[in-house]
Amino acid sequence: MLSRVADNLYWMSRYIERADGMARMIQVHQSQALEYAQNDQQLEEFWQPVLQSICAESVHPAEQGFRKIGKTLLFSSSFANSIFSSISIARENARMVRDQLSEELWLELNNIYLFFHNGDADQLYKQGSDLLLDRITRFSLVFQGLADATIPHSEGWRFLSLGKYLERADQTSRMLDTLNLRTKEPTRADLMSVLRCCIALSAFRQQFRGNLSLKNVANFLLFSEDFPRSIRFCIRAIDHSLHAISGVPTGTFSNEAERLTGSTLAMVNFTDWNQVVAKGLHQTLDELQTTLIEIGQRVFETYVLLPSEIKSLGERSSAQLAQAQQQQ
Amino acid sequence: MSLPSQFQNYTTGHFFDEMFSGDQQLSARAHYQQIFQRFDRLTASEISDRRQQADSSFLEHGITFTVYGDEGGTERIFPFDLIPRVIPESEWSMVENGLRQRIIAINLFLNDIYHGRKIIKDGIIPEEIVNSSKNYRPEMIGFDPPQGVYAHICGTDLIRDDKGNYLVLEDNARCPSGASYLLENREIMKRAFPQTFGGMAVRPVEAYPDTLLKTLEYLSPRKSQKPVCVLLTPGVYNSAYFEHTFLARQMGIEIVEGKDLIAIDSCIYMRTTRGLVQVDVIYRRLDDDFLDPLMFRKESMLGVSGLMDAYLKGNVALANAVGTGVADDKVTYAYVPEMIKYYLNQDPILANVPTYLCWRDSDRAHVLQNLENLVVKAANESGGYGMLIGNQSTKEEREEFARLIEAHPREYIAQPIVSLSRHPTFCEEGIAGRHVDLRPFILYGEDVEIIPGGLTRVALKKGSLVVNSSQGGGSKDTWVLKDF
Repeated sequence: MLSRVADNLYWMSRYIERADGMARMIQVHQSQALEYAQNDQQLEEFWQPVLQSICAESVHPAEQGFRKIGKTLLFSSSFANSIFSSISIARENARMVRDQLSEELWLELNNIYLFFHNGDADQLYKQGSDLLLDRITRFSLVFQGLADATIPHSEGWRFLSLGKYLERADQTSRMLDTLNLRTKEPTRADLMSVLRCCIALSAFRQQFRGNLSLKNVANFLLFSEDFPRSIRFCIRAIDHSLHAISGVPTGTFSNEAERLTGSTLAMVNFTDWNQVVAKGLHQTLDELQTTLIEIGQRVFETYVLLPSEIKSLGERSSAQLAQAQQQQ
Repeated sequence: MSLPSQFQNYTTGHFFDEMFSGDQQLSARAHYQQIFQRFDRLTASEISDRRQQADSSFLEHGITFTVYGDEGGTERIFPFDLIPRVIPESEWSMVENGLRQRIIAINLFLNDIYHGRKIIKDGIIPEEIVNSSKNYRPEMIGFDPPQGVYAHICGTDLIRDDKGNYLVLEDNARCPSGASYLLENREIMKRAFPQTFGGMAVRPVEAYPDTLLKTLEYLSPRKSQKPVCVLLTPGVYNSAYFEHTFLARQMGIEIVEGKDLIAIDSCIYMRTTRGLVQVDVIYRRLDDDFLDPLMFRKESMLGVSGLMDAYLKGNVALANAVGTGVADDKVTYAYVPEMIKYYLNQDPILANVPTYLCWRDSDRAHVLQNLENLVVKAANESGGYGMLIGNQSTKEEREEFARLIEAHPREYIAQPIVSLSRHPTFCEEGIAGRHVDLRPFILYGEDVEIIPGGLTRVALKKGSLVVNSSQGGGSKDTWVLKDF
C-alpha cells in the first residue's frame, strides 16, 4: 500500500474518533454543568480543567462566556479539534484515498460533512444540542461498523485500527486527567462524568457494584482487561495492529513503533494502583500521553518516510514533521 | 383528460435541433420517438423527483469538480440534464471512422515532428508553427515512445452546425477529462428511466476503464511481469480530482501524487509501506510543464524529479507521451485535414471548423475587421478560458482582443460563430433548446477503440455557446442506438 495512503487512512480514522470523543465530552459535561455550575464563574471553574486536559485552553468562547462553549467546540473553524474541523479533516483525508474505501463508508462520512457544510447541523443544534451530538456519536458508530463490515481486513484496515486505538487511548487518558486538574477533590458527579465520557458507566458498575471512587475509576479506565476503551485494551490493540502490519510475531519487534508499544503494554500489564499512587496519577497519565505521541511518530517514520529522509532529519525536525501531520 | 404536453411551448429557433425536425411543425426524429414520448408524458413532480434524485446522488457520491478562483463553492456538482442525447448507429459509425482517421494522422504527425520532419520539408506545415508552439518539447526529438504512440487518450470535441454536419472543434490530446462523468451519467440514467433505456438497445459504455487499463499495460517496458500502472494526479485540489480517483478505482490501480514517486538510477518507484515498488506505466493527469522540476518548471511541487530522465531512457512509460500538446495547439489544428491527406492519402471524414490563423497577414486583417462576427481563441488555452465570442462581446473586450492579436498573432485563431446544434433541456421555463457539443473518448493502444457516444456537454445558460463545466455548462448522457 502507498505510504501516503496508509497515512491518510490513519488520520481519517483518528479524526473521526476524535470527533466522537469530543461529542461525548461536550454532551456529558454540558449535562453535568446544568446541575452543578450555574453562574459564569462556576461555569469557568467547571470547564477550564476539561479544556486544559484536551489542550484547548486557548479556545475562548464568545461574549456569552462559557454558556456557549459547546457551540465553539462543535463548530469553530479556527479550533483544529472542533467537531466540524475534525470531520472536515477526516473527509479531506478520505477524499485522497477514496479508492480504498467502500462506497458506503464514503457516503456516510461525506453525508455528515455535507450536513455540517450546508447548515443543517446548525439548524439541528438550535433545536437542541443533544440531538446534534447524538447524531455525531451515531455517525461514528455507523462508520466503525461499516469499516469493519465492508472493507477487507488487510493492511489499510490495520492502519484504520491503529489510528482509532491511538486516539482512543489518548482520549481516555485525557478524560481521566480532568480529575487531577480540578482544584477540589473529584466529586461523585466528576467521576460519573469521566465514566460517561468513556461510555464506561455500565461496564464499571458491573465490575465494581457502584463502588465509586477515584481509585476504582482510574483502575478501571487504565487497567481493565476487556473494556474496549481502557488504556490497556487500546495499547494491546495497537500492538496487535502493528504486528499484523509487519507480520512479525507479537513479543518481538521489527521497528521502533513496535518496541515502544510492546514495552508500554508490558508496563501497563504489570503495574497496579500502588505504583500509580507512588508516581502520581497525573504523572502516570502524562507519561502515557507522551509515549502515545511518540508511537505515532515512529509509525510515521517506519511506514511513511524513507530511511534517507529520517537520516536527514534531526530529532526535533522529525517531531515537527509529525506535529505538522497531526495538525494538517 | 390529457396531460399538458411538456413540449407544447418548445421551439427549435433557427438552429439544428437534435430531437426535432421542422421549425413550425415539430416532429420528433425517428431515433428520438421513444424519448419524446416518455418525456412528453412526464408530470412536473416526476421531473423534480428524478432531478433531485440525480443531484443528491452526485453530491453524496462526491461527484464534484472544483472551480478555480471561486470563493463560494469550491466543490460543485457538474449539472446533469435528464434528457439524453441520442445518436443513431449509422451516424455514429461515420463519426467513429472520422475520429479513428484523425487520431492516427495526429500520431503520425507527432512522430514526424519529433523525428524526420518530412511534413515540414514537404512544405505542408511551416516549421515556425511547430517550433513556436507552447507545448512543443524539443526534449522529445529522436525519442521513440513505447509502441510508437504519442496520444493514447484523446478527447476530441465535436459540434454540429445548422445543417447537422459534425465538425471537429478541437483535439484534446494532452489530458482530456470527462470520462468519469460519462460513466456516472449512464448509471444515473439507468436508474431514473430503466424501461425507456431498456427498450432502446443502447450501446453500453462500461468497458471504458478496462480498455483504458489494457491501453496502459500495452505500454509497459517490462514484459516479463504484470505491469505496475499508476495514475498520477496533481492532488485533491485539482478540478478533476474526482475523475482521477474514479478511474483509478475502476481500473484497480494506485492513484499517486508526485511525492509518492521517487526516481532512483533512472527508474521510477512508488513509496509503499513495504518499501519501494517499481512503476512501469504512468497515466499522468498532469501537464508536461509540471511533470519534472529538473526538466520543466522548476517550482513545480507536483511532479517527480528525474521522471523525464527515466522516461527518455525507456524505463517508464507515460500516457500520454510528453509533447503531444503541439497537436492540440489550435493553430496546428487547422492543419489536421492536410495531415490526413499527407500521411494517409485519404479525405478527412470529419471536417474542421473553418479557421483563420492570425499570424497570416491576410487572415489577421480579416479577423480584425470582423471581430464582431467571429470567435477568437487563444491557441493554447482550454476549458473555455481566453476566448472572445464576437456577437456577445462589448466594444472594450473586442478592443482588448484586437490589441492581444496584434501583439501576439501566433497565439490567436478565429473561427466563424457556428450556431451549435441544440437539444431539449430542462430549464427554469420548462423544456427549452440549449446548445450542445460532444466529447467522445478515443483510446489508442494496440488498436484504436472509441467509447460509443461520449460526453454530451450542454450550455445551460440561454443562448450561451460555451459548454465548459468551468463556465456554467452541464452534461447529458449520450445514447448510441444499435438499431438505427
